Amino acid sequence: MKLPQILDLAAATTLRTQLMERRGQKLALDGGEVERLGGLCLQVLIAARNQWRVDGVDFRIVNPSPAFADGARLMGADASLGDAP
Amino acid sequence: MDPMDAIKQTYFQECDELLASLEEGLLSLEAGEADSDTINAVFRAVHSVKGGAGAFGFDAMVSFAHVFETTLDAMRSGKLDPDPESVKLMLRAADVLADHVAAAKGEGAVDETRAHAMADELAALVAPEGGAPRASAAVAAPVADEGGADDWGFKPLKFGDDDPPASPAGWRLIMRPTKAMYAKGHDALLFLRELSRLGPTATTLDTSWLPNLDGLDPEESYCTWTAELPAETPEIAIRDIFDFVGDDCPIELTLTAAVSEEAPAAAPAAPIDIDALLNSVRTPTAEREALEGGAEKPAAAAPAADKAANKNAPAPAGGGATIRVDLERVDRMIDLVGELVINQAMLQQRVTESGAARSSTIAMGLDELEQLTREIQDSVMAIRAQPVKSVFQRMPRLVREAASATGKQVRLVMEGEGTEVDKTVIERLSDPITHMLRNAIDHGLESTEERIASGKQEEGTVRLAALHRSGRIVIEVSDDGKGINRPKVREIAVKKGLVAVDANLSDEEIDNLIFLPGFSTATSVSNLSGRGVGMDVVKRSIQALGGRITISSIPGKGSTFTLSLPLTLAVLDGMVVSVGAQTLVAPLTTIIETLRPKPEEVRRLGPRGAVLAVRGSHVPLIDIGVALGQRAEPIDPTQGVVLLVESEVGGRAALVADEIQGQRQVVIKSLEANFQRVEGVAAATILGDGRVALILDVDAVVEKVFSDRRDAAPLAKAS
Repeated sequence: MKLPQILDLAAATTLRTQLMERRGQKLALDGGEVERLGGLCLQVLIAARNQWRVDGVDFRIVNPSPAFADGARLMGADASLGDAP
Repeated sequence: MDPMDAIKQTYFQECDELLASLEEGLLSLEAGEADSDTINAVFRAVHSVKGGAGAFGFDAMVSFAHVFETTLDAMRSGKLDPDPESVKLMLRAADVLADHVAAAKGEGAVDETRAHAMADELAALVAPEGGAPRASAAVAAPVADEGGADDWGFKPLKFGDDDPPASPAGWRLIMRPTKAMYAKGHDALLFLRELSRLGPTATTLDTSWLPNLDGLDPEESYCTWTAELPAETPEIAIRDIFDFVGDDCPIELTLTAAVSEEAPAAAPAAPIDIDALLNSVRTPTAEREALEGGAEKPAAAAPAADKAANKNAPAPAGGGATIRVDLERVDRMIDLVGELVINQAMLQQRVTESGAARSSTIAMGLDELEQLTREIQDSVMAIRAQPVKSVFQRMPRLVREAASATGKQVRLVMEGEGTEVDKTVIERLSDPITHMLRNAIDHGLESTEERIASGKQEEGTVRLAALHRSGRIVIEVSDDGKGINRPKVREIAVKKGLVAVDANLSDEEIDNLIFLPGFSTATSVSNLSGRGVGMDVVKRSIQALGGRITISSIPGKGSTFTLSLPLTLAVLDGMVVSVGAQTLVAPLTTIIETLRPKPEEVRRLGPRGAVLAVRGSHVPLIDIGVALGQRAEPIDPTQGVVLLVESEVGGRAALVADEIQGQRQVVIKSLEANFQRVEGVAAATILGDGRVALILDVDAVVEKVFSDRRDAAPLAKAS
């Protein structure tokens, strides 16, 4: 599944819906096209990662764009997405 | 207007205010009044200009402001002394920043070479000994986007590790975005990015309240962030980032090394906020309880903490709340109130004509209405009243530039910047003041060598002052230079045929010669004031405002130019008089007293002239009707009334009118705008009975009569 370019307020609800539709499946989210990662979508992604972990299914983000990596890093996201808090 | 343009315009307006407070702050630093509030204000001004510039993509401005800000930051944190040299440099940097703003507005260009040189000088100020200048490194990469994409690596986060924290003390910022904040289009990311620009920032994310995806409301805010910043980061810079989101994103800001002995030394200007510290201990519990009750509650619990944390933050500039209003709306209101005043006067007159007694309820009601009308008018005028500061604050730069152009050392002293005057007047003050200041520096002050030779201080002083005097605003521009060279002025005037060779002129009259059109004492046209615009233009523009300009000069000591202007161009307190069949209004501010002369007080002088003996002195009698060309022969002064007036040009004079009708406030209607300029008449008004009355220009009338009587005919040109 490809992540959309803009992950802001407007994208958060759709992103959650799309992820929920794939619940139980192994998931590799392609972040290669992301131009902006906002706080709300970061929450959705972390919540999904936690959910998948609870479900015992593999969840990964692959090919993060520089903007995605930068946004995540600015928001201190590394630790939360790496290891469950 | 395009909404983006409208926002941009607002930004430019803010820039003007910010640049003004920047300059003001720097000037008070220069004057040795260096407190942390001033440095904060200066820092904040540059920071805010930069913020907006970034939003609109004015990259050159952002880069320059960034360097400037970095230097100010060093000053703020005590690493850089606000010594005179640094402050002087910063004043020039403020000029460059102003150029950037002007360029962004499309009103000129930035001298790139100058801007770069200035940025280098600024950077050099904060360059650590033996190390690379931090500021210039920042120009190259103002945005902390170094260290490209990594592979989603989960390492502890730290930016700019080339610059390790100077001390263990640091700021801890806890940021709790709310749902409302996101709903308004703000994003935690933007704030964290801004924070990272302030310095090395370590950010940790707290997701402990984040549910799993199935229980997640995607638009709710669950995460909080804690950012650690170096102690030398200006507190105000951190708070500024969150300024405009307010309660939508409560923050807690504390100095983490609160228990450490070293903390105060590391950040002397940032006292430890005990309240905030206590709150940072208390709020987690409060928040937890709130969260259990519902998702919206953390926002409600946190503001209290935020408020406490904010207690030490400086009050926003200007104190109270303000709104921006389109000037047109205010002008429209002033027009309407003007009509109201006229209408009220008409009503009063009708009631008087109807024979109602003054004690009747209707007359009393009208008196109350008059009172109220006047209060409304005063209040409306107060809306437009502004301190002259907005004009004055442009002058230090002008003086700096004029000083460097002439190679003279000049100190500008400004007084009475808070003096308020109507906006319409303020707008038109700038040019005359600019010109007079340039003149004072170029022609008034001597060169440094001359000053030393005459035993004066090397540095010349130019004083710019504003004050209220008898219902007018007075602007004085004075210098401690050589004073007006009267023999030279006279010689030039004679050479140019402006006065007769044998004219008998007083010192004052000689001084006033410089207001004659085409007069210039400079032997060569200087770069500075000799731009073909003489003092005559200044005088005319002041007169057009209903103002006057006078000079006083003492050889060797200096000159003072005094402008006197009405506080408003909208209303006037006047005395209504009849002259022949005409009704005229004389401005009350010019009238000293009114009297009916006795025959023995009037002395004839020559075939047409006459003087009035008043309290031991003799004052020339001027028949208003004759002066305005309404009648050929003057009336007998003992049959009329005399208005004793003080004119700026000829001292006291006694104006003769037929009778006095009364005293009232009139609304000024421009004669120039509606008809044309008439000599001796300042403007017109509409009276209670609906008729138009002319408002006397007392100075012009007196000056005209005096110059007519003087045999030195060419002097008549002076008016």
